[in-house]
Order: sequence, then C-alpha cells, then structure tokens
Amino acid sequence: MDISNLFEDVGLPTPVRRVNILDASDDVLRSVSERLSIGLSVDEMRRVRDYFGTEGREPNDIELEALGQAWSEHCCYKSSRYFMKKAFLDLHQDHFLIKGEDAGVVEFDDDHVYVVGLESHNHPSAIGPYGGAATGVGGIIRDVLCMGAQPVAVVDPLFFGPLDLAYERVPEGVNHPKFIFNGVVAGIGDYGNRIGIPTVAGMVNFHPGYTGNPLVNVGCLGFGKKVNMIHSRVGGVNEIYILAGGRTGRDGIHGVTFASTDLSADSEEKDRGSVQLGDPITKEPLIHSCLEMNEKGLLGGMKDLGGGGLSCVSGEMALAGGFGAVIHLDRVPLKEPGLAPWEIWVSESQERMMVSVRPENVDEVLHIFRKWDVEANVIGKVVEGKRIKVFWGEEVILDLDLDFFTAGPQYCRTYISKVVDREVRDVPFPVPDRSGLEAALLGLLGSANICSRERVFRTYDHEVRGRTVIKPAVGRPFTPGPSDAAVIKPLEGSDRGLAITADVNPFFCELDPYRGTLSAMEESVRNLVSVGARPHSVTDCLNFGNPEKPDRLGDFEEACRAIGDFARFFGLPIVSGNVSLYNESDIGKVPPTPTIMMVGLVDDIKLVTTSDLKTGGSILYLLGRTHHEMGGSAYYQEVGAACSCVPDVDMHLSRRMMEVVLDLDKSGLLQSVHDLSEGGLGVAISEMCIGGHMGAELNIGLIKDGSSSGGGSPLRCDIKLFSESNSRYVVEVQPQDAARVEDELSRYEVPHIKLGTSGGANLKITEGEKVLVDIPVDILDHVWRNKLTWLLEGSK
Amino acid sequence: MFTVEVKVGLKKGVSDPEGANTHKSLELLGFKEVSSVRFLKVYRMTIDAPDRDSAMERVEEMCRKLLTNPVIHTHEIVFL
Amino acid sequence: MRSDEVKVCILRMEGTNCEQETFDAFKRLGASPEFVHLKQLEGRDTLAGEGRLLKDFHILMFPGGFSAGDYIRAGAIFAARMKAVLGRDLVAFIEEGKAIGGFCNGFQIMVELGILPAFDCTMAEHPQAVLHANDSGRFECRPTVLKHVNAGKCVWTSRSNKGELRHIPCAHAEGKFMLPHESQEKEDALYQRLFDEDRVVFQFSDPIGDTEAPYPFNPNGSRFNIAGITNDTGTVFGMMPHPERVFFRHTHPDWYRRRIGPEEGDGRAIFWSVLDHIERKF
Repeated sequence: MDISNLFEDVGLPTPVRRVNILDASDDVLRSVSERLSIGLSVDEMRRVRDYFGTEGREPNDIELEALGQAWSEHCCYKSSRYFMKKAFLDLHQDHFLIKGEDAGVVEFDDDHVYVVGLESHNHPSAIGPYGGAATGVGGIIRDVLCMGAQPVAVVDPLFFGPLDLAYERVPEGVNHPKFIFNGVVAGIGDYGNRIGIPTVAGMVNFHPGYTGNPLVNVGCLGFGKKVNMIHSRVGGVNEIYILAGGRTGRDGIHGVTFASTDLSADSEEKDRGSVQLGDPITKEPLIHSCLEMNEKGLLGGMKDLGGGGLSCVSGEMALAGGFGAVIHLDRVPLKEPGLAPWEIWVSESQERMMVSVRPENVDEVLHIFRKWDVEANVIGKVVEGKRIKVFWGEEVILDLDLDFFTAGPQYCRTYISKVVDREVRDVPFPVPDRSGLEAALLGLLGSANICSRERVFRTYDHEVRGRTVIKPAVGRPFTPGPSDAAVIKPLEGSDRGLAITADVNPFFCELDPYRGTLSAMEESVRNLVSVGARPHSVTDCLNFGNPEKPDRLGDFEEACRAIGDFARFFGLPIVSGNVSLYNESDIGKVPPTPTIMMVGLVDDIKLVTTSDLKTGGSILYLLGRTHHEMGGSAYYQEVGAACSCVPDVDMHLSRRMMEVVLDLDKSGLLQSVHDLSEGGLGVAISEMCIGGHMGAELNIGLIKDGSSSGGGSPLRCDIKLFSESNSRYVVEVQPQDAARVEDELSRYEVPHIKLGTSGGANLKITEGEKVLVDIPVDILDHVWRNKLTWLLEGSK
Repeated sequence: MFTVEVKVGLKKGVSDPEGANTHKSLELLGFKEVSSVRFLKVYRMTIDAPDRDSAMERVEEMCRKLLTNPVIHTHEIVFL
Repeated sequence: MRSDEVKVCILRMEGTNCEQETFDAFKRLGASPEFVHLKQLEGRDTLAGEGRLLKDFHILMFPGGFSAGDYIRAGAIFAARMKAVLGRDLVAFIEEGKAIGGFCNGFQIMVELGILPAFDCTMAEHPQAVLHANDSGRFECRPTVLKHVNAGKCVWTSRSNKGELRHIPCAHAEGKFMLPHESQEKEDALYQRLFDEDRVVFQFSDPIGDTEAPYPFNPNGSRFNIAGITNDTGTVFGMMPHPERVFFRHTHPDWYRRRIGPEEGDGRAIFWSVLDHIERKF
C-alpha cells in the first residue's frame, strides 16, 4: 500500500514529519506501523489514533516512534506481566527494600544493601556476538549503578548450539555456535575486564535448540550503603536533566522492537544497526563520577539509558516522581551529524546515564563529570503537570500525556500448557557392565555440558577488587575442580559474605517446564547451601519463544508458576528480573530457559565450604533420596535413551536438607560439600576427587529407590550412579565427627547413607562386592579439564 | 592536509599469538591454502602540515612517542 | 618517619581499576594513601585545592587495570601522557630515593615510560623492554607461584627471604617480558645483566620452586619466567602478578584447604617492605 502521501514535512531545519493518521483505516494503520518499523499492532495503532483525535492534531513521526518503543514487549512486558503478577510479583520479604526499578535492592546488614539485576542480550548477541555480549554487561552494570551501588560482581549464564555442529548443518543466516561462543566470551571478558568488575560465576550450556538463537544473560551484583540508595525518579520540580557519558548515534535504533520479534534468516544483515557498540573506557569513569556525585548527595534521581533510550528514561523518571519534563533535543551531543530527531530520541547508544539535579548543584555535577573526562550536557528540566514536551530550537516536536505514553497495553494472550507424561516409561536397555559404566562416566565428564569451564573463566578477571573469596575454581590451585557458587566479601570490616550462583537445566525445562523450573530453583539453593550460604533473594531471566504462539506462552506460564510456588515455600523474594520473549528463529524456538540467579548470605566467610576433597580417610555420605526419574538426564543423552519424567522437587525435604547442611557447615563438621546435578553421583564425586587431587572408594549398594536409608525397591546400578534427582549432596566428614553428623542428620529426618572413604589415587565405586568403576583420578581430570579446549580447537 | 597510514607490525621472530590463532581458525574453517598470518595494526590519520617532509617527520615522532615500542615493533608510513 | 606520615599517591586515569585494593593495602598498614587522578598532577580541569604535586608524596603507585582501555598498547597512553607533562618530576622523584611501584598494568606503564628496566639511566627516552601478548593469545586469570630471587637490592621485597615462594595471582593478556633482540648474543647479555645486577625480583615457578616450569605456571611465556624486576637503585619496582589481591589469606585460591595459619596473605610483605624503606629513609 502506498502511504507516502500521509507523511508531511513540518518545515524545520531538521527532518520531522507529520504523519496524518486521524482518518486512517486499519489497513493504513498497519502499513504505517510497518513502514516505521515500530512493531505496534492494529489495535495499538487505533489507540494511538484515538489519542491524537482527542488532542485534536496529527502526530509527528517522533511521537509514533516513542510510543512504538514504550509499548514494546521489552519495555512494558505486555505479554508477560499478567502471568508474573499472578505467580510471584506479590512475594515480599522485609529485607527486600526497593523493587520495581532497574535492579532490586536487598538488605545486607543494618547499614548496607546489595543490589541485583539480570538481563538478556540475546538477539544482539546472535547478530554481533562480541559487541552484543559486551553491551549486555555494560547495560546490567548501569542498572545496578543507577541505584547508587558500586557494581562488585558480574555473572553470565550463556546458552549456545553444539560446538561440534557440522558446518554444512548450520542453517542459512545463522552463525556457527563456535563463532558465537568465541565472540560472546571475548566480549564479556574484554568489557568486564576493562571496567574492573570481576566476573565470578555463570554457566555455559549447549543444546541444539540454541543454534538459531543463542541466549546471553548477564547479571550484576552491586553493593552500597543504605543511605546512598537513590531512585530512578526525579526529586522535584525544576530539577535539571543532565545527560552524561557516550554520545548518541544510530547504533541501537529499534533495539527493543528488534528484541520483540523473532530472528529470521536475513536478520544478520538487516538488523546490524540494532546492535549497540560498547565503550568500556567511557563506562569506567562514568561509574566513578556517578558514585562520587551520589555520595555527595548532589543527585535527585539517576537512571541509565538502556533499551528505550532517551525517550523512555525522560518520561519514566519524571512520571515516577509525579511530574512532567521538557527536553531540548537539539542539545544532545551526537556521534555523527544528520540524525533525525526521532533517531536521537529512541537511539540506544551505550554508556549513557541521565541524572536529575537541583539547579544549585548543576555546576558541581558538571565539574565532577569533567574531572573524569565524561561528556555531560544539560538537556532539559522537570516541570509541573504530567506531560512530556520535546523541543527542537523553539519548536515543540513531541507533546504527550505521560500516563498515556508510559501505560503500554497489557495482554492475557491464549496459552496452552504442555501435557507432560510424568510416568516413568523408559524403553528398557541392558544395564552396562563395568567397561560400559566406566565409558559412560568418562563420556559424561567429557561431555560439553559437564566438562570444566576453565577455558572460559580464566579469560575473565574473576578476582579484581581483591574480594573474591570463593572463585569459579576450587581445590588445589593448579588442578582445581568446579565451585558450586562464588563468594565475595564486600566489606572491609566484616566477615559477612555474599554468595552468588546462576542455574537452569534446559533439558529438564524442555520436557517439563514446571518441574524443570522448580529444579532450577532447587539447584540454585543447593549451590548456595554447598558453600555455606543461606539463600536470600532470587532474580530471574525468563527466556522463551514467541508469546503469540499459545504453546510457548503455556511454557512461560508453567515456569512462572514454579518460581512462585518455590519462592513462596522458601520465603524468598523475587527482587528483580527480565523477560525475553520471541527467542525463535527459522529453525524453531529455544528450549524454555528460566535462568535463575540466586544470592545467599554467608554469616562468616571463614566458615565457607567447597567441593574439593580435603583429606584422605574421611567418610563420605550421600544425603537425600535417589529416584528413577531420568528424563533430560545427561546419562540418558550419553547412552541415547529417552524418558519424559524429569526430577521432581520435594520442597519439604529440600528445606530440611538446606537447614541441616547449613547447620553442619556452621559447626565446622563438613570438610567438603558438593551438590548432585548433571551426571548425578558419578560426576559429583569425580569432581570432588579432581578438586582434591585424591581418590575415593564408595559402595553404592545401599542406595534404594526413593529412600537412601533403605526400604525402597532396588534401583539399577547405572541409575544409582547417574540419576539427577534433586535435593542431594555428597559431604566429607572426618571419622571423629561421624557420629555427631549422623545424629544431626537423623534429627532433621534427612535420609543419608555412608558411601565410603576418601583417599588413594583412583575413584573406585562398587555395588556390594561388584566393581562398577575403578579409574585413576588423573584420567578423570584429564578428560574433564580439557574437553572444552578440544571442542574449540578441533583437536582430539 | 595529508592522509597517512601508519602500519605497525611485529619484528621478525617476535611471537604473534593473534596471527597464529587466526591462522589456526582459518585452517579449521577449511582455508588450508593459508600458509601464514601476521597481525598488523593500521592507524589512518589526516594531518595538517605545510609539506610532505614535515608531515613525515611529525608522524615519525608520533611513532617514537606513542604508536610503537621499538623493542618489538616495526612501522611503515604510507601517504595515501 | 612514622608510617602514617608516608604519603602514597595512587595514580589513576580512565581505565585504571585496581586502585581501591591498592589503596586498602597501604591503608591497612597505617600509611596515608590518596587517590590522585593524572589530571590533578597535570593541573588540568582542577578547581582550587584539587591540584597535587608529585614531590609531596613518598611513594607513587601505578595500579593495575586497563588505563585508556589499553588501546594502542597496554600502558602506552598513560605513559605517553605522563612523560609529556611530568617526565622531569618523575626523574627527580626517583633520584630523591622515593619509591615507585606498579602491578600488572602499572608495570606495563612503567616499562613504556622507560623507568624499568632503565639500563644506564633513570628514565630512558624510549622503552627498553616490552610486556608483549601472552603466548596463549588469551587473557589469563590464574594462580601463579613466584620465587623471590632478589638478593637484597629491591626495597619492595626486603621482608621476603631469597628463595621464598609466594602465591600471588595473575590476570593479564600482555605480560610476556621481553628485552630487545638485536642479536641472540646481545639479548642474552642483557638478561645476564639483569640477573648480575640483582634486578630480577620474581620468577614464575611451579609449587616446588622450579623457575623453568612452563605454562600454566608461567602464564605468559616470559623468558627465564621473569615476573617482576627493579631498577638500578632498587626503589622502582614492577611485577605482572597482583600482590594487592592477596593481602589476606582468604583470597588465596586454596585458603580453605588449610584453615590454620596466619591471616596474612602472600602479597602483604611487598607493601610492608616499601613502607619500611620510606620510614627509615625519610
């Protein structure tokens, strides 16, 4: 449809067009939305038309662009909010201090808070892996910073297609997973390292479902004094808006509308303009200067310019304070001349921060920015009345009611929940003999999803700031094993610590979104408990497919419900989060991926525990119940078996397990603790041996179905070794403490069995008299430690 | 006004991990015909100078003061 | 001089980012550290009272990080700016016997400045060495063991005995120490000179003290596993690893494996040593 005649130049020295839609039909409205790429539906366009009808004038292009951005999925959560609200947005705990802003603020002690945020940067990373991931780090750091907190740690859960995917099987328009992986890892490293914030934890997962649409989630933890926390809203009328940091360019135009549609084969070329470029060397002084002026009490409000740019920030900050704003768009410094006003208004160029300042403090604020060589300009001010007006010179080019502008539509779209068969219906296959079991164990340790992540985290500075107490690797320094969670000690004069972990198992979520999400929550709890931290707050990043398709939305609904159910039971607040929908490409949707980031508190960092075996001759216990629930397990993938029943969570048991392990930890009775996850007992004990550079001898004969202290029906030995049932830990105890530990376990009614002892050079596992596995730890170590390098470099 | 390119490379015998890694990656992608890859950094600058010789002199000075470390680098100045 | 009278200039510019932990290390030992932006020494964009003079300090620290993004070359931009404005002050500072230290990016800056190794001069006109890209081609954040090999020249390690092993972690992409190679003989002679003049302070080693141990014990491929050196007066000292990150035992990579023992981390002695020196001398 030719609609060119609707666009009319308004005759300014800069391109602003009036768009004549007041008389437009639905078809015309659709065409206008498409022509401008603003992603608004016909219904939404009708609302826009009717609004301008009551205003009695035609809109300008900049106004339509602003609405398209403000009403995108990314900015207003129009498809997802209904479900989150129903499931968990009401959850609250007294230690959760500020919610609903860029990041959640949670109490650490009487005077201090920690701040958490987690975000996705999926589509930009698919198109430009290096820049996409780098700017993801930048964005989440700004979210934390704009609450007035010093960023202290970065966490990065990453999801890719298989690294060994044959080149001829890579779909058209898609980059090879290896290319994406290398770019993303380099982007995170180069950016995080340059700004001096340690990358302390994360995860890397490979699943064919991510081939067309990788997921890059980035979390940040900040720390600060309670009195320095600041809101993302203006403080009062007449405050001056100062825009600081990077200049504004065409990078990131339509970024949020891009994040709110599926990827297609021509995305690579078409959408490159939607990917922002990062500049860590502007960011680092921006952090220093913002913290300095905040500490001096010079700021009324502060907000970062992320998805949505100047448009969203100017409006939201003013409205949140109960005011309106006037912006002089011609005062925004540009990277290149010739940007149209609408481009300046919605650009998502990186490294920008908006502060609002009382008039008497403007000079001092500008001086601090200048001192740090950060460009800063006065671009507007806060006014009475809930309207936002944008000027170009003397002309008003945008004039919108803020309530209308920021109140995007909310939908409860149709959804269909997945019907899950939770009966155990495996196709039977013979129990492997010793050589089969040994091959399976080595296969699991050398599988892409279990092998060591050292190749990744060694390229991230994980100990800058000098406060990382538990690092991504634990055990003997030159042959470490994996750590369950990172621990940092944020305060100089206190031994209180913060533990951080991020987790989700997409293979579980794919088969059973509800149980899969419960498992992600429970695994996060186990990770924290393993290092001796009490879970304290939850942040989520919900990565799903197109919400306009009912089955995708059904997955989303199940995941939200699981998060709500678990958090309610454990009394955990959901302190912030992010939703990323439309993670689909021409080759299908990603597996449902509700990434969970959990923060725990450590009372005394001197009492933390780690997973590496400490001494020979210790007693090893298995805590928890083992079930035959092999759906999505690494073992079934390894042997090519299938089952739709994924591990369930018994929340009552899970909570008792948590309490008893924390209790034993605090009494100093546990030498080492490791939770059981992918690859089950076999992998967990191998990792403990690797980290301690020490063998162990176990008898798994006593493990029974459903109850590890006897009574249940017998389990196959391979299921005992590799089941991924939740709520289980292996702990190492000195012989003289064994009786006390057993008493405690019984007191908490926690099922446990004595597996054997640590020591020797081999991992030997028997079932009664029968030897199942007997492998030197050096061989386990070799396979586990080097596999990722082999996959990346194509050798072996 | 002169437009000048300064190509900074590594002296012979100095290890070049970036070149070596790129070479390896190209081989993995099937470009077996590549026999060597060396990493160069190129700065293109526009400078105001009365004549070519004085421009050359200034650029040489930039190389000495900032753009190169004589221990490992060679440089080449090309007028465009 | 009392330790609280020792004034430490923690110099920063955009991209330096280990300044807080460096500051903390001196503070914990009772000295008086201050963050100083390079602009405050240059006198640019400063208000009354914000300017600082190098000569008012006793110790100058170049902290780690990525000064100016490490664009062009690690440390090159910081060094060029410093040299242009403060070159003479720096020479006077060193010649007065005051101390200069740099870790990681700080070491890179000092080499680019020409104040290390500084053969036959206080500050060379052009760099006499380089910290080149790691052999692995990657950023390497990992534990390293350093053997202290200095016989007594370096004032930054006087509290460490010769032959002692210290666990101090690395985190860098460009740390391969190299001297000029005009010919093999000349290069060898230069290295020999460094050792003969007792200017090598730390070498990377394995946990039992072998200083020929390869990667990953030597994370960057430096010849002779050189990890840190000093100038001719022993007061100017740079090293690639990060002693400020192991001021306490609980940031060592394996501290939880042996819970008994001192609180002190392996990096503390370095800060302590230089404070001793200044307290005695001034």
